Amino acid sequence: MSRKKTILLTLAAMLISFQFYPLVYNDDKRVTSVHFTRVYAVPEKVQAILKNSCYNCHSNSTKYPWYAYVQPAGWFLASHIKEGKSELNLSEFGGYSPRRQKSKLKNMAGSVRDGSMPISSYTMIGRNARLRESGKKILLDWLNTTRQALTK
Amino acid sequence: MLPSILYTLNFNIMKAIIYSLALASLFLVSCGTGDKTKTPSNNIDSDGAVTTAGSEAKATIKQIFAAYFDLKNALAQDNSPSAADAAKQVIGAMSGLDKGSLSKEQAIVFNDIYDDAKGHAEHVAENGGNLAHQREHFETLSEEMVELAEVTPGEKLYLDHCPMFNDGKGANWLSESKAISNPYLGKSMPTCGTVKKEIN
Repeated sequence: MSRKKTILLTLAAMLISFQFYPLVYNDDKRVTSVHFTRVYAVPEKVQAILKNSCYNCHSNSTKYPWYAYVQPAGWFLASHIKEGKSELNLSEFGGYSPRRQKSKLKNMAGSVRDGSMPISSYTMIGRNARLRESGKKILLDWLNTTRQALTK
Repeated sequence: MLPSILYTLNFNIMKAIIYSLALASLFLVSCGTGDKTKTPSNNIDSDGAVTTAGSEAKATIKQIFAAYFDLKNALAQDNSPSAADAAKQVIGAMSGLDKGSLSKEQAIVFNDIYDDAKGHAEHVAENGGNLAHQREHFETLSEEMVELAEVTPGEKLYLDHCPMFNDGKGANWLSESKAISNPYLGKSMPTCGTVKKEIN
């Protein structure tokens, strides 16, 4: 019993000490000329989907849930966001080469189609980020049309 | 105090806390060894780099294609781990290329495809075990290899086409041999496809 207590107390002490390691939050709300929505004419419906299901990990502006301010949950989110942005950063989409942009559109569509994105470890906690079939179709149709227009 | 708070929170938040606790126990281990690394970063560096000291671009380009063909053949065999290995070789060979010894035309094409091709090869390399994902990235990589092949004379190559991949949208690949060996459909349909064009 006392052993259990020690472990619990240690954990509690650690959780408290974790709070003293601050995080740099991914919270740059500026929408510059290289932002995805400036590179393409993105319909509002599609923008809403991107905002709801993609931007939190794939842009410079994350809408944080309250627990992001509690460690180690915040660290966990931060590593997710870092990885997401290295793969695709919609805030800096215009910085990719034209070829890369086209590829990214293709792979965005691919990930949405096969359901690998939004990633399940994220939608498990952030249930609102889930893509419904209707939203999926809107996003996919738009991505495909946009990419085809670039090929011509 | 803690339990009473927990009871008032909803399920999702509970989950987050459970995650936190689970993570905390992980940190317990790492702190014990004096390791205070917060977030493990997994930047993938291209290992398997090919040494090109002194050798000219032509030899490196040959290596790029050789690695690409290994990748193609691994996919045709449905061999996902060796496709991943071959993709690493592609990255290694591409980053080892001495761009200074390329012709102007070659340099334009290579610089144009480089970052994208490398990105696709990285995806193939990181997704050992996920053939579908590897093939998706192999498709764009193939388009880029075709462009490179067209400006780098060498051995005769074949531009092959598979009409069935991508829900009937079709996809191309580059082959070193005339016989069809389909990297998109693999063992399920090994000989599906046609030679579209001969290069060089």
